[in-house]
Amino acid sequence: MKFEDLSQNLNARIAAIQIIAFILLAVLGVRLYYLQIVKGDSYAERAEEQRVRRLPIPAPRGAILDRNGKILVDSRPTYNVILSHDALKKGDVSSIVQPLADGLGLDGDVLQERLEAAKSSTSGEYESIVVKENASVNDITWVEAHNLEIPELRVELQPQRNYPLGKTLAHVLGYVGEISKKQLEDSKYTERGLKSGDIIGKDGLESTYDAVLRGRDGYREVVVDSRSRIKEEIRVVPPQPGQDLVTTVDLDLQRAAEEQLANSATKRGVIIAMDPNNDEIFALASAPSYDPNVFSQAGNSKEGRKMINALYNDPQKPLLNRAIRGRYYPGSTWKIPESVAALQQGAITTKESHIVCGGGIQVGNRFTRDTSGNHGTPDLPTAITHSCDGYYYRLALKMKPEGLIKMVEEFEYDKQTGIDLPAELTSRTPKYYKPIKEKTGRWGDIDTVFSSIGQVYVEVTPISMIRAVSSVGVGGKMFVPHFFKEAKAVSAAGDPDTPEYQPERPAIGYDLKPPKIIQMTQEQNDYVLKGMWGVVNNGGTAGRIKMANWEIAGKTGTAQNSSIGSGGAKDHAWFVSFAPAYKPEISVIGLIENSGFGAANAAPAVRGVYEEYLRKKGVNFDDLKPEVKAVAKR
Amino acid sequence: MVAVLERRSLRDFDFVLALLAVAIVCFGSWMIFKAQPTETYWQKQLIGLGVSFIVMLVVAFTDYRKLVDYAPYFYAIGLVLLILVVIPGIGMKINGQRCWLKVPLIGQFQPSEFVKIPVVLMLAKYFGIRRDKTLSLRELAIGIGILAIPAALILLEPDAGQIITYLPLLAVVIFLAAIKMRWVIGLSVLAIVMIPVAWTIGVRTGKIKDYQVQRINAILYPDTVDPKGYAYHTIQSTITVGKGKVYGSDTDTETSQSALKFLPEPHSDFIFAVTAENTGFVGCIGLLLAYLFLISRLLNAARQSPDREGMLVVMAFTGAMTFQIFMNVGMALGILPVIGVPLPMMSAGVSAVLATFIAIGFAISVKMRRYVN
Repeated sequence: MKFEDLSQNLNARIAAIQIIAFILLAVLGVRLYYLQIVKGDSYAERAEEQRVRRLPIPAPRGAILDRNGKILVDSRPTYNVILSHDALKKGDVSSIVQPLADGLGLDGDVLQERLEAAKSSTSGEYESIVVKENASVNDITWVEAHNLEIPELRVELQPQRNYPLGKTLAHVLGYVGEISKKQLEDSKYTERGLKSGDIIGKDGLESTYDAVLRGRDGYREVVVDSRSRIKEEIRVVPPQPGQDLVTTVDLDLQRAAEEQLANSATKRGVIIAMDPNNDEIFALASAPSYDPNVFSQAGNSKEGRKMINALYNDPQKPLLNRAIRGRYYPGSTWKIPESVAALQQGAITTKESHIVCGGGIQVGNRFTRDTSGNHGTPDLPTAITHSCDGYYYRLALKMKPEGLIKMVEEFEYDKQTGIDLPAELTSRTPKYYKPIKEKTGRWGDIDTVFSSIGQVYVEVTPISMIRAVSSVGVGGKMFVPHFFKEAKAVSAAGDPDTPEYQPERPAIGYDLKPPKIIQMTQEQNDYVLKGMWGVVNNGGTAGRIKMANWEIAGKTGTAQNSSIGSGGAKDHAWFVSFAPAYKPEISVIGLIENSGFGAANAAPAVRGVYEEYLRKKGVNFDDLKPEVKAVAKR
Repeated sequence: MVAVLERRSLRDFDFVLALLAVAIVCFGSWMIFKAQPTETYWQKQLIGLGVSFIVMLVVAFTDYRKLVDYAPYFYAIGLVLLILVVIPGIGMKINGQRCWLKVPLIGQFQPSEFVKIPVVLMLAKYFGIRRDKTLSLRELAIGIGILAIPAALILLEPDAGQIITYLPLLAVVIFLAAIKMRWVIGLSVLAIVMIPVAWTIGVRTGKIKDYQVQRINAILYPDTVDPKGYAYHTIQSTITVGKGKVYGSDTDTETSQSALKFLPEPHSDFIFAVTAENTGFVGCIGLLLAYLFLISRLLNAARQSPDREGMLVVMAFTGAMTFQIFMNVGMALGILPVIGVPLPMMSAGVSAVLATFIAIGFAISVKMRRYVN
């Protein structure tokens, strides 16, 4: 100290200040060491996390095509307005609701609800919230113009599933929708890497072949600033589209089938057409139908939900795929598998098959009529051709319930057909009922009689019926009905050196399994065929649909109505058939609910499908005899 | 007068101190450029450095005793400026604080940065007389009064952060003005007791605003505070510092914490975080060592002062600067609440650089005159 005033140990006091200064700086140094050396990596990671975002690039879903390459389902690009989650974290949601609702023309209450739901979800899986689907050009312009006020708002490309055919083929195609909470808890879905918000197939082929149709999403890795504005793109992992699915459907036949149902008396029913040689399905129509676009496009809007609710509550049950989930009394169509089984079991032979008709049968004190009169003592082909109930009453009593059960098992009516659509129902047969299943209670002769003509104890799905009857045309071969023909190859995506690389997805063909064989001799087979041929071509019950140069073998059925549909008093009309009778290329089944006689209602509808088939084959209808045209009683 | 001193004083001119200060400002300008490459802050800072350096030379070659003698006038001018600044229409309001004065040609400046100088001179004048007794209560009251008047005016702006930088001026002067050690200990104990009491009362009565409570909670309980809310500054600053690791992160300027606007006020209040992000532990420790060296140099000048006035002036400035460094860096490192205190010689702001260089000019002036008496 240069000045003489050294009172009050000034030196010591200055030294004290110096020491305090050093200690303060040392504290900072220690803290720096902790932050940068000890925790440096963790902070670097946090900095990276908050500035790097992955924005998904949704992969286009594979298209669905008919057997000739016509487009049945595709995806079209739409734009969604999305809000980054950051905007919600800042505080009050309602402050952004009003400008958004005004600017994008949305319902403020719905939006508020949606944002609050997203906000309260604590999991960080939702990086962004969809504010508006299907944004218009005006919406996109608005978003861009308000980039400064609401930078968390973005427009994102979202391929949307498009069903250009509308109601046509709807039950087969199904629809897509957002994965549900329930599905997210199911390991079946989570194992495939599906996550919340994913769009998956919910019904029909969309559901069955979801894994084939689904692509692998890509993403953009970008740097964002503190308000989520995109500043820089680090890299792009391209998406890999899903595989296109080629189906066995022939769109022209499908349209013809649907037209027939639309023109039918009740406009409710089923037509299925398929190739009996391998069970490739050409057409599967179930009426009434619905527009799957409602599910894929309107599910998130108020009106959309209303439309979906209306479909669920419609007494006509448009959502029901009657071909695989409708169970109907088969009526006389049941007589075809019964005839084959009777021959197999030796209840009758091709040499001796005459049985008395008697116009009906007396069981106990009750007389059950033959609904089509007294046929004398016909042989099997005649009984089939004229649909003689009395014949089958007595035949069934000969076969006994055990024989009927054997027949059910032989034609697999007690199983699903295995068609590649979800939620197929199994037919109900006598095997299902207590006296047979558990051997308790009484099963009288009258029950066997009812079962013999496909009433009371027999309810079958149309798909199981066409499958069983078609086998008669192809020497007893019962294949699995299916729509899958081919999944097309998709080329590889991404950089092969990165873990995100998606290798090529090769084409997949249909793996045709060996059929279940219905054991019968050629003689027995021809014997039944003769009867079926006669139904159309020899003055049988469906004689009115006879066509020149095109021999249809078939069987009509008129079943007492069940409770399916709106339940009118009239009977269900059936016609199951294949053609040409002795070398079939196509089999067609028709069921018109509550329309009356099979011959008058179902058979002409089936013939309509054959006409379209022949037209496509190049047969000129003007050459056909005039009396065989337009016979349907419509 | 300058000519008389020149020959002998040039030898005693503390070049090391002057150059160290210039070097820190240059380093700071580089960091300001890193923080805001598209803005002109770094250029303004370098121009400010040039002006400040000249002013520093003028102060250094002026006899500080003359300046101390005129202290009441400077003090009065300072108070007038502080009154002017709070008058709406004259003072400029930025971020809700009216603490800027706009002067034609020169531009805008912050009087509260400069008023420290007359306050220090005033304190030095009052306490710098030879003494043989310990500090009396009356003297203490007058010392507090000298500080309280400008402090009250600054509170009107309001700029709580700036007031905190004034407190060490008085504390250091009082401590060196022969206050009894038992008073020091007593006051320290009182402070330790009173701070929580005042805090509780402040919160209860609403005198301490909610955001201030939140900012302090962010330090005390970092895990319980909303990271997007009031803890945001603290969290983002520690992330920015930590990510620098040993040698600084190699992030390019477009994606740094400041460029992406995660780090607020990167060129001013959080310049230390930017330094940490760019130069890492090595750069930060280097900067802290530079400060340490500078402080040592200033304390050295104080020790060599020929009189009590000079010693008090240099010590008051040094104490305030040290305290300010600790406040600012402590905030950037997440151990102190967020208070808008600039980092001396680093934060962008010509007013602050000029004020600091005037203080350093005093120190050089004092040191040069060590043999005069």
